[in-house]
Amino acid sequence: MAKTGDRAQVAQIASSSQSWRAAFLSSNCTPQPRLETDLGVTYEPPDFVGLILLAGEDDVMYIIQGHTPECTHEWEWERTGSYPVHPAADWLEVPVRGGSPSKSHPPAHPTYILKSFQWGHSAVMPLHPLNLPKPGQPEHSQGSNSNSITRHPTPCLCRPNPPTPKLPKPILQQRFELQIHQILTMGDHESSKLDHENHLLLDQPLLQLPVELLRKNLRSARFEVEKDGSFVKETLKKTATDSVNGRISQQDVLKTLDSMITRVKGVKRKLTAFSEEENRLHRHEEARVKHLTELYGMYSVDDVKYEGWSRTRLDRLLTDYLLRQGYVNSARALAKERGIELLVDVDIFEQMNRIRQCLLSGSVQEALAWCTAGDTKKELRKMGSNLEFMLRYQQYIELVRKSVHTQPSEALAHARKHLWPYRETYPKEVFHACGLLSMLPEHAARIEPYRELYSPARWQMLADLFTTTHHSLLSLPSIPLLHIALSSGLSALKTPACHSIHPNSAAAPSHHTSLSLATSVCPICSTELNELARNVPHALHSKSHVEPDLLLLPNGRAYGKARLEEYAKKAGLPDGMVKDLRTGEVYNVQLLKKVYIS
Amino acid sequence: MSLLELQKELKKFNQASKLTAAVQDVDQLIEFLVNARDEVASANDPHTTSLTLTKLQNPVSAQLDAINSDLGKVHKSQNAFHKALSRSLKETKGTLPTDHDPMASQTALINRAIAMHLLREGQFGVASTFIGEAQPQSETSPSPEETRRPPSITISRPDTPPDAMITDADIPSDLTAFQSQALQEKFAGMYSILTSLKQRDLYPAIGWARENSTELEARGSNLEFELCKLQFIWLFKGPQVNGLPATEKNGVEGALKYGQENFKRFQDRHLREIQKLSCAIVFSPNLADSPYCHIFDISLAFEEVASSFTREFCSLLGLSAESPLYVAVTAGALALPNLVKYTSINRAKNTEWTTQNELAFETPLPKSMLYHSIFVCPVSRGQTTDANPPIILPCGHVLARESLQKLAKGIRYKCPYCPSEGVVKDAKEIIL
Repeated sequence: MAKTGDRAQVAQIASSSQSWRAAFLSSNCTPQPRLETDLGVTYEPPDFVGLILLAGEDDVMYIIQGHTPECTHEWEWERTGSYPVHPAADWLEVPVRGGSPSKSHPPAHPTYILKSFQWGHSAVMPLHPLNLPKPGQPEHSQGSNSNSITRHPTPCLCRPNPPTPKLPKPILQQRFELQIHQILTMGDHESSKLDHENHLLLDQPLLQLPVELLRKNLRSARFEVEKDGSFVKETLKKTATDSVNGRISQQDVLKTLDSMITRVKGVKRKLTAFSEEENRLHRHEEARVKHLTELYGMYSVDDVKYEGWSRTRLDRLLTDYLLRQGYVNSARALAKERGIELLVDVDIFEQMNRIRQCLLSGSVQEALAWCTAGDTKKELRKMGSNLEFMLRYQQYIELVRKSVHTQPSEALAHARKHLWPYRETYPKEVFHACGLLSMLPEHAARIEPYRELYSPARWQMLADLFTTTHHSLLSLPSIPLLHIALSSGLSALKTPACHSIHPNSAAAPSHHTSLSLATSVCPICSTELNELARNVPHALHSKSHVEPDLLLLPNGRAYGKARLEEYAKKAGLPDGMVKDLRTGEVYNVQLLKKVYIS
Repeated sequence: MSLLELQKELKKFNQASKLTAAVQDVDQLIEFLVNARDEVASANDPHTTSLTLTKLQNPVSAQLDAINSDLGKVHKSQNAFHKALSRSLKETKGTLPTDHDPMASQTALINRAIAMHLLREGQFGVASTFIGEAQPQSETSPSPEETRRPPSITISRPDTPPDAMITDADIPSDLTAFQSQALQEKFAGMYSILTSLKQRDLYPAIGWARENSTELEARGSNLEFELCKLQFIWLFKGPQVNGLPATEKNGVEGALKYGQENFKRFQDRHLREIQKLSCAIVFSPNLADSPYCHIFDISLAFEEVASSFTREFCSLLGLSAESPLYVAVTAGALALPNLVKYTSINRAKNTEWTTQNELAFETPLPKSMLYHSIFVCPVSRGQTTDANPPIILPCGHVLARESLQKLAKGIRYKCPYCPSEGVVKDAKEIIL
């Protein structure tokens, strides 16, 4: 079915979460692929054959099947364990384990490492039938079919080994099948899968805000049109009647017409501004939907593209946080540097922060202007917000404070106009407002409600009230998204070891990367987050997660066998000696003890 | 409905009528008015004026209606899109847990984490803007209250709390300033080395690795050798490839010289590789056909070396290679659905998820995000902690200490997993 030639066949394999493109590739390619094992044996085509799996659109390649004609041990590719493949690396190491691996009976056989698997950058592997001839079968069955990939849709291809020892070498004794399915193991598949809908929980406000702003924009436009439209209509009607009845002079008609034209021109100016705003918001919304739908092109957390996407998300959350904290310049700089201007709302927060700052420095004018601009007033009333009342109340308090030794006529007028009408909605406040007149600031210090009213802390309260009102008006989350993401993430990552009293027991990666033995510091243990994570709960685990083949050193520390061996090699120790990865103590292998973790 | 379908809605929405239609209609309205004015002005007699004004009323009100209907159309399309949006977000179950914010009191620490993140990402410009903006803020935010508070109140308050407040706020912000200066220099150094690596200049990196060779060796890293090896190969390739001047310090001869000078110190640890490299000299005319050709394929080696350099550099600073903030936020997004589910169930019970020591629900993360060994005691099903460490029995089975104490009768115990029995004091603490 598959022919030696170009990419002869592309099979679509739907594994549990991924769709894979598998391609059988041609053998007459350069450079030739080769497989070199630890035992000093090198396989080259046609002895070594393999099948390449192309994963995703970026064509990161993983081999899933390979056969060599000769093998001194009965090998089978380990089914679990991770095979880290650096996307940029042109080689990979795959642990091969003898015997049949299963979880309950860890194999006693040693682990071999297949080394320097070389495939060249042209990403080509020889095309060979996957059903290699069984021992004793005639050669011609090679090339019969290459269908086994579809028969084994998931990369779980362990087959029983044929009885081997009777057969002379170098006859094909045995086959072994490689399977690398991503950087992950089978068991890990579930947790690295992306659940798109739920993954976008944090990003809902991103889409909602432009829509809210668009609606607000339109409402403001309507408000303007209504206001000036009815003015024009009414004036026109009145002028026309007056003119018919001859009650108005020619000059005045012209004047009224001129004023109408100015009005309508004003409407046009405003509408044009609204229209520009509308276009800008449309661009924002479009960019955001595009950004979020990019996620649907990724299926796993380990997708190379996911990292980029997730980084953009971090930048978005950071910008959001900076804006909410009032660090507008930083937010602007960050958004510009990362090119995410369309994904963040600097302007709206900048306006908010300006008003907030004014409140903090003791001025209500700007906040009042915001409350009464356009149709905000109506919306606030619909929300049942007390912001405007509280602002007026503060104005009143300031007037009283100012007129301590004079007649409080200004304060009284203000109260009559702005506070008295609300005596039913806010009876306590209005009552206190009346009492405040008799209470000098220096006397009020001892009397509870009045001390609070004269307190400068009210400005902070007003600023916070304004912020909350502003956020709920635009249906923005009340706390920075970064806080939500962090508190959830810190807990999920945190382990009891992160704040352990033994500093050394920290920072042991339970997954072992073959590229480097060196441990990577855990993000919670890293200085940046350690203090921050101190008071959050740690994650709940119901299963142990330790390195495979743990060995106990006499000093009470346990490490995975593979890691110990490799470290010993890198440290240049003689055979039969191992070195503690953290303390550097050297021990004889004989002293090591196997650890059983159930 | 997923976001993919929302895209179609968005397209419709983008093509739907916008405010521009209303602007055009307003233009027309202006035209009517201007024309009428001209007419009135030119005729200049009361009869024409009243006639024009009367005639003007209908078109003006019609035009106003048209504008309103334009706005109505925009409103309609906005509503349609809004509905589509809420429908597409409906599949995301639950609302964000905003009731309780454990991070709210930690602004200084979060700011510090952000400053360090920006520095390690090499965004020095943004970082300095941020530190500049965050610094006075964190110092002044308590102080305006102090200054604005009338003197009478300060007297009535005990003296200690304001003092404590100031120091509390000052220490972290000072830390930011102090650390950022040192950190910025460190990271600036790292980025300059990385830039040279990008330009295929290995010497700064080799210099750094040599300076820190003891620490690197202690970590089991062979970065220094890898760098030297790459430098050897790079020289070996000769002027055509590396573009360095064709002196005796370049090419095979230069490589040999470089090797003689530098490989000595690695002999006991990397003898085999050094042998390979030196044997390759024999094959220098036809390297491609030699058994060593794959060693000399270095097309991706520079990126590889650069990433392991970054990792080692950060590790020596006690920092993780990936930005912790990035990892934490990504993990947060992955764990959030479970958190949301849990909080929505428990909202009725009015318990806060953050008050416990351990989360009450599992948050599955991919393996690449597990940084520590996790041991769950097979008897108690709980994770081991400092207070309750894992204990290895002489038979090799591991339990939590408390579980063993519960299992033991007096000083003797029986292993729950195999027939062996023993004395409790033979069980040893184990560090996983």
